[in-house]
Amino acid sequence: MSDVVLFGILWVILTILGEIGVSLWGHNMYYYMASTQAIEGNHAAIFLMIFLTPIFMFVVLMLFFVPFRFRAKDGDRKVKAATFKTNRTFISIWVTVSVCVNVLFFIHPTASAAEMMFQEANPANQQNTLIVDVVARQWQWYFSYPQYGVTNTVNANGFNDLYLPVGRKVEFVLRSYDPNHTYDPNLDVVHDLWIPAFGIKEDVIPGETRFMYVTPNVITSFEKNPMVRVQCAEVCGPGHPYMWAPVHVVSSSNFATWIAQQKKQNG
Amino acid sequence: MSTLELRPDISPVPQVVKSKRMPPVIRGILWSAIGFLVINTLISYVLDPRYGHPFITQVSITFGWFAAMVGWVLGVGAWEGAVLPAFGHHGTLYTAPGWKRFFEYSTEHKVIGLQYIGSSAGGFFIAGLAAMLMRLELMNNSMWLFNYPQQYLTTVGIHGTIMMFSVGTVALVGGLGNYLVPLMIGSNTSAFPRMSGISVLLVPFGIVTVALSPLLGYWSTGWRGYEPLASQDPSGILFYYLGVFALTLSSLLVSINLTATVIFKRAPGMTWGRLPMFAWGITTVSLLNIIWLPEIQLTFVMSLVNRLVPLPLFTATGSPLTYMELFWLFGHPEVYIVVVPALALWQEIIPVMTRKPLFARQWGVIGLIFVMMLSGFVWAHHMFTNMRNVEMMPFSFFTEMISIPTGFAYLVALGTLWRGRLKFNTVSLLVLMSMFNFLIGGMTGVFLADPIINLQAHDTFFVVGHFHYTIIGGMVFSWLAAMYYWLPKMSGRMYNERLGKIGAIWIFLAFNLTFSQFFLLGLHGMNRWVSVYPSYLQPMNFETSIFAFLLGLGFLFHLVHIWWAWRAGQKAEGNPWESKSVEWITASPPAEESFPVIPRIVSSTYTYDNDEPAVIIPSDGKRVATTS
Repeated sequence: MSDVVLFGILWVILTILGEIGVSLWGHNMYYYMASTQAIEGNHAAIFLMIFLTPIFMFVVLMLFFVPFRFRAKDGDRKVKAATFKTNRTFISIWVTVSVCVNVLFFIHPTASAAEMMFQEANPANQQNTLIVDVVARQWQWYFSYPQYGVTNTVNANGFNDLYLPVGRKVEFVLRSYDPNHTYDPNLDVVHDLWIPAFGIKEDVIPGETRFMYVTPNVITSFEKNPMVRVQCAEVCGPGHPYMWAPVHVVSSSNFATWIAQQKKQNG
Repeated sequence: MSTLELRPDISPVPQVVKSKRMPPVIRGILWSAIGFLVINTLISYVLDPRYGHPFITQVSITFGWFAAMVGWVLGVGAWEGAVLPAFGHHGTLYTAPGWKRFFEYSTEHKVIGLQYIGSSAGGFFIAGLAAMLMRLELMNNSMWLFNYPQQYLTTVGIHGTIMMFSVGTVALVGGLGNYLVPLMIGSNTSAFPRMSGISVLLVPFGIVTVALSPLLGYWSTGWRGYEPLASQDPSGILFYYLGVFALTLSSLLVSINLTATVIFKRAPGMTWGRLPMFAWGITTVSLLNIIWLPEIQLTFVMSLVNRLVPLPLFTATGSPLTYMELFWLFGHPEVYIVVVPALALWQEIIPVMTRKPLFARQWGVIGLIFVMMLSGFVWAHHMFTNMRNVEMMPFSFFTEMISIPTGFAYLVALGTLWRGRLKFNTVSLLVLMSMFNFLIGGMTGVFLADPIINLQAHDTFFVVGHFHYTIIGGMVFSWLAAMYYWLPKMSGRMYNERLGKIGAIWIFLAFNLTFSQFFLLGLHGMNRWVSVYPSYLQPMNFETSIFAFLLGLGFLFHLVHIWWAWRAGQKAEGNPWESKSVEWITASPPAEESFPVIPRIVSSTYTYDNDEPAVIIPSDGKRVATTS
């Protein structure tokens, strides 16, 4: 019995330490967050960590407890191993807990967070959404703003550039083809639009139009943090690592200025 | 139920014709080259000449490769061993003495098992070298080792393909399964020994094919061969399809053989209720192989034809998603193919080491079977970034639920460890380490099963860390534990306990320090398949690489140690672990005929609560009829 008590005490202590660790470190898991979706994902991850910590500590403690406490000493044949083959209480608790924890995880955060994501995509919820047309080709990102009549935004060096106003939902319309060689519709491959600081990515698939919704919530830029960049995340050939573009999240007035400037460039 | 009667048929009286005989491997290479040259020339010059008359075309090399495979298999000995007997000739089956046995066609399951283990180990170190090159490149955030990203991506592809199809799928099933399952169930042979002799020859052929793929041109898809990128790639991708075909064919034949062996070859008294956990693991994993390997083979054949004709099946006018669905339909069961035998190994080894009966055995079996069944319902969690929203929930649900039966492996293992008398040696240390690593692999999987988190972590080093924790941490650590555990059985010799423990701690630290940082790199914005990355990620990549090199050296250390112990280790006792399992009543190493008299199993082999033997050898010295 003393083994059970000792194990129980150690388990509680380790779980408390683990939970302290989660509360201190958990919000840093995403390193840098600049969208409501990233915060959403981080909350989901913290919830999982809170419930997984006692389970993790239980197994890890057991893996250390056993060799220290139940180790056969050399030549000591007097102490016999226990002989039980089953333990109805332990098995019932184990099965019940593992079913309950997994069902819980499916309801929250999995289904609840997914429901919020699906609501973002609901056509009824697109009153003030900024539409950004994204074309991925090997190996470049093109951004256009059809609501403002601006196509293929570039910076002063001619490098593709993405500006977004803070606090406004963005609908990325994702297509994969080569706009410079439209005579062959089969030229391009699967890409993936990922903005690490936004905590979300979507594949861009030839022959399909796909959508990604994100709401930037901090004024920031690639110059401030390199995670604020568009990065292709699906292997697409030798140019894959070079297929990136800087992102700038700006105030709505700065966004208007930038759009006007792009319009001038577009001619 | 006949077991011994089959023997004379399959191995006729050996006629050793030493002087006139070409070494089988050399003859295999020769026949392989002849087959390739004949068929390749026929196609590229006669049947399907192309403009400019190139000697090698994509079509000619595909058919030439098949001819080379047939030539290799026949040349090594399948001609005398399998083909001639099928036509009624008594082929001359040579049996070479000593180590040469392992370099010829054999129908003996123990030789075949060791051939598989050797081939897998070869694949492991070839693909491991590729991993070292990748980590070397990633020490700097610019191209400095490779000249062109395709070279890096080809290295990634070779690493992944050889590791998955010649190590992960093969080492525990074709290797330990072939060696141990017949011994564990008290049989002298596997069910289809001739086929088994052929299947093992496909492994080195497949490994060499994939490793030589750069000869045809670099390819960039990694081990998944995503379309339409694959159809645009240089022709090196052909050797990916063909090499994988040989390797998966090998695993498919192994699975058919071992399933039949477990069903039909059990000794009297070896009921399903007494079947060892490892045999259960091999049975479930074989069923997975039989269901899913033909599926991926047909997918790759379709991709190959799509490329050769060419067809637009997976382009913008076709459907790129269809390829992904077909790939992952196999791809996720594949990871359970890798890990289920490892879970079974824990349950096999722990009762012996703790001197305690296996805890909650039926839950262990239920776990293995439900993992097998559920693994076909989870594939699309690899596709949260490209599936329709409405499809997410069921896959997320089943992915989370599969952790329940997987957890039963822990239930059984921990229940058996509790209040046992643990022999704390290299074997049990490696099993405990494997449980620790796989726990981290499994728990990070819970995060990945959640779409909102998956959309951040997918296609990043977080995922790379996750699956290396399950595959290296779960499977390779268990493989090493099994090699040390059965080393006295296979070689008759014992490893050095101190060196074994040093090696175990070495790889445990190096492994965890390498791959735990993969999680952080991924979350910090490191995507996969990049040889060039933003400079802020360089410091962590640099130190990760150093730990990765230490891990590679650690595995080499184990290789050398096992090799040394095999040749020159201390002579081991017949049953050093005092196991009750059937395989330990044979000689160590077992003779060609493992059981001169077929044993009778009288109780579960995990009954360490009493001193009664679980296996008896019938005293009348004859085979016994099946007893009730």
